[in-house]
Amino acid sequence: MPEEMVTAQIDVFRHDPAGGGAPRYQRFTLELPPHTPVLTALLRIRAEQDPSLTLRYSCRSAICGSCAMQINSKSRLACQTPIGPEIAEHGRIVIEPMRNQGGVRDLVVDQTSFWEAYDRMRPHLITDPLRPMPEGRETSMTPAQVEQFRETPRCIACAACYSACPAVEADAAFPGPMALAKLYRFVVDPRDQARQDRLVRIQTEGLWLCLRCHLCTEACPKDVRPSERIRDLKEMAIAAQGGTERGSRHAIGFKQNIRERGQLNEMKLVLQTDGILGSVGQAGQGFKIWRKKPEISKKPRRIEGIEEIEQIYEALDPKPKGDR
Amino acid sequence: MRRHEVLVVGAGLAGQRAALAAVEARRDVAILSKLHPLRSHSGAAQGGINAAVGKEDSVDTHIYDTVKGSDYLGDQDAIEFFCREAGPTVVEMEHYGTIFSRAEDGSLARRPFGGQGFPRTIYAADRTGLALLQALWERLGTEHFTLYQEWDLTNIVVREGRVQGIVAFDRRTGQFEGIAAKSVVVATGPAGRIYGRTTNAHTCTGDGIAAAYDAGALLKDLEFVQFHPTALLESGILITEGARGEGGILKNVLGERFMGKYAPHVLDLASRDVVSRAIVTEVREGRGFPGDFVHLELMHLGKERIETRLQEICDFCRNFAGVDPVVDPIPIFPAQHYMMGGVGTNIRGETNIAGLYAAGEAACVSIHGANRLGGNSLLETLVFGKQAGLAAAAYAASASAPELHDSDIADAEAPVRRMMSRTDGEDPQAIRTAMQQTMDRYVGIYRTESDLLEGLRQIRAIQKRFERVRVVDRSNVYNLNLTDALETGHMLELAEVIVVGAFARTESRGAHSRVDFPSRDDAHWMRHTLARKTPEGPNLSYAPVGYTRWEPKERVY
Repeated sequence: MPEEMVTAQIDVFRHDPAGGGAPRYQRFTLELPPHTPVLTALLRIRAEQDPSLTLRYSCRSAICGSCAMQINSKSRLACQTPIGPEIAEHGRIVIEPMRNQGGVRDLVVDQTSFWEAYDRMRPHLITDPLRPMPEGRETSMTPAQVEQFRETPRCIACAACYSACPAVEADAAFPGPMALAKLYRFVVDPRDQARQDRLVRIQTEGLWLCLRCHLCTEACPKDVRPSERIRDLKEMAIAAQGGTERGSRHAIGFKQNIRERGQLNEMKLVLQTDGILGSVGQAGQGFKIWRKKPEISKKPRRIEGIEEIEQIYEALDPKPKGDR
Repeated sequence: MRRHEVLVVGAGLAGQRAALAAVEARRDVAILSKLHPLRSHSGAAQGGINAAVGKEDSVDTHIYDTVKGSDYLGDQDAIEFFCREAGPTVVEMEHYGTIFSRAEDGSLARRPFGGQGFPRTIYAADRTGLALLQALWERLGTEHFTLYQEWDLTNIVVREGRVQGIVAFDRRTGQFEGIAAKSVVVATGPAGRIYGRTTNAHTCTGDGIAAAYDAGALLKDLEFVQFHPTALLESGILITEGARGEGGILKNVLGERFMGKYAPHVLDLASRDVVSRAIVTEVREGRGFPGDFVHLELMHLGKERIETRLQEICDFCRNFAGVDPVVDPIPIFPAQHYMMGGVGTNIRGETNIAGLYAAGEAACVSIHGANRLGGNSLLETLVFGKQAGLAAAAYAASASAPELHDSDIADAEAPVRRMMSRTDGEDPQAIRTAMQQTMDRYVGIYRTESDLLEGLRQIRAIQKRFERVRVVDRSNVYNLNLTDALETGHMLELAEVIVVGAFARTESRGAHSRVDFPSRDDAHWMRHTLARKTPEGPNLSYAPVGYTRWEPKERVY
């Protein structure tokens, strides 16, 4: 049975810095079946309407990672996004280059910063010459150990997560979700001998700059779930080194506050995060908040139902015996 | 002028492995690729990599299966070397960090693959190529080399009987540049996009094979084109043989498991050429589904097994075909998948030109002969990538400095400037589509003399049209319209070699199936086709098959 066609209005960002001229959106109209991937639509435009439309693409099966772009403001793989639902939801399809990477031409972006962040993770097995790999045979690794990689081996480095990440936009020191998911992949690898060193280093190399917004996990076309792996890295970093950084001290203090009273003690949390001297610099900000919300200076009460919270903590993270 | 000792063109598994070998041999190495290395098409390989490491298995059985699978056109001496290297190669990749799937006892998990006596295909779920590509790139990243990323190769320069370097252009600047090199390794992969219906990436356009051919290299066995039996109907996206290895079965419109008629012993796991012909025959005899396809059924395997062992396949089916393999049959049809032929080499990757090497799918050693077994191509990229890298490094260590002239660059650039200055002429994509339609129609799974003659006539007419190709995009930045034109030119040369070789070979062997010559003819045709470029078209000659101890037998599965 022939499928119904839809009329696709596709507005594509165009800019060739070499040719001069301001960036613009160019509208193309095509009749296509609704399941047509956006990439196929763009290639039809190249073949039939404008061969100068410039984009990266290769495999058309979501494995090479070339064709990530903004599709109706979301970072997606063009090959894996059908046009039908986009048109149903937005009435048209707006195609723009990925964010957080400089433009080269049309939809092609400069990925230098993305790859540099990846390189900073030392993305290779670090082995100890004193503990060599088994001679002439594979390292033993159980299916349960392979399970520890979670979905990180599926990463195709498409940079959709990097494009979607507000922390990347805010701070160049943040390596981005893909790089951290790659780091996780090496931290959990039983063959790697640099686990401790990797965890210690990343505490000062951007781990705590993650804003926990989970936009990377939403953007990832391969379900790698970078934000969950970043959370794992934070836990592992604290376990490996304790609260040596603002971020980790904040996390530890937050957890402790809730356990004790069921709500935050903001004054205490600032002290826990920044220490006494560090907190002095925040006194002005604290004073402003206090004027609007004087109750923050009071030590918060234990909330009603705190017993339930204690039970949750006890189930997830039992206190050592002596503490009970 | 840029200058290196060893220049590798192509950054998939074969190219990276060649580069690693040359770096380890302490040469100054550069890699040039039109893609970021991690975007290479090696990453799309799904099923696995063969190595006879199981207790019940043996290297001899792997050799025998490969010889038989090749329909006795594979060189037996090369196949012996290849299969012996398999175990160490897989272990090396594991040590580099590849995350393979594992058995409960902690060893490498293995799955059965078509045309093979034992489950010897080692895998990483259904993304083995990606797992290997990641690990090799990670390993190579610890070494020092130069990367020319998103550069397009236009010419390999050969003078005084040896390689002098290449000419290429940087997409980011549009500049044509010469890169002098003592040795050049061609590892640019296949030219699957010669066909319209193909599992290959858009970028598989045979650039290196064509440049080598232009430079005087002999192309071997190009008429042997593998059609993978199970590609998704519309997009041609590959559904791995691993799906049948896990227990998937093929059914026609009558609900019959038809492979019983064609391969009574191994059924759906027969060799790829056998299964592809069976599907085409079912459809031609009216037992296909409306729209000309058959079904691959996985449903009986159960949700958990499908979703863990065939995770990517699940996504492909759901995203690209709108079917859920847990509950629906998958509509499939054969599509061009692999080129057994390529730049002719020996087991060291050496071609007929001093300083020119080739490896991987761009090369033809020949391991695969007339038909490749699943799981042997990933292994080939690594085994012969390394050999080519070693040989290229050894040659570079003793060769004198290469000489590239400004005129070499000007000569390469002149036809491109003509394409870009024409005010009339045809768009390269229209020409490419015409070529693909001709190859699909006349040079597919079943071939006849009249079809091949018509195919050749059309390809030559399309080559004429290409002389008037016009690049309308005049930008110097990332000009894909120009890339389209160059790629189309490369493919048109290779298409002609395929058709001429297929026309001349009056027998059926492996993937080359002549309806008018249905049987294998060892007396006349147990030999390799070699094509040399001349102004009149490909000039064919023939070379004997390397033979050690396996007598040709009828190939039955």
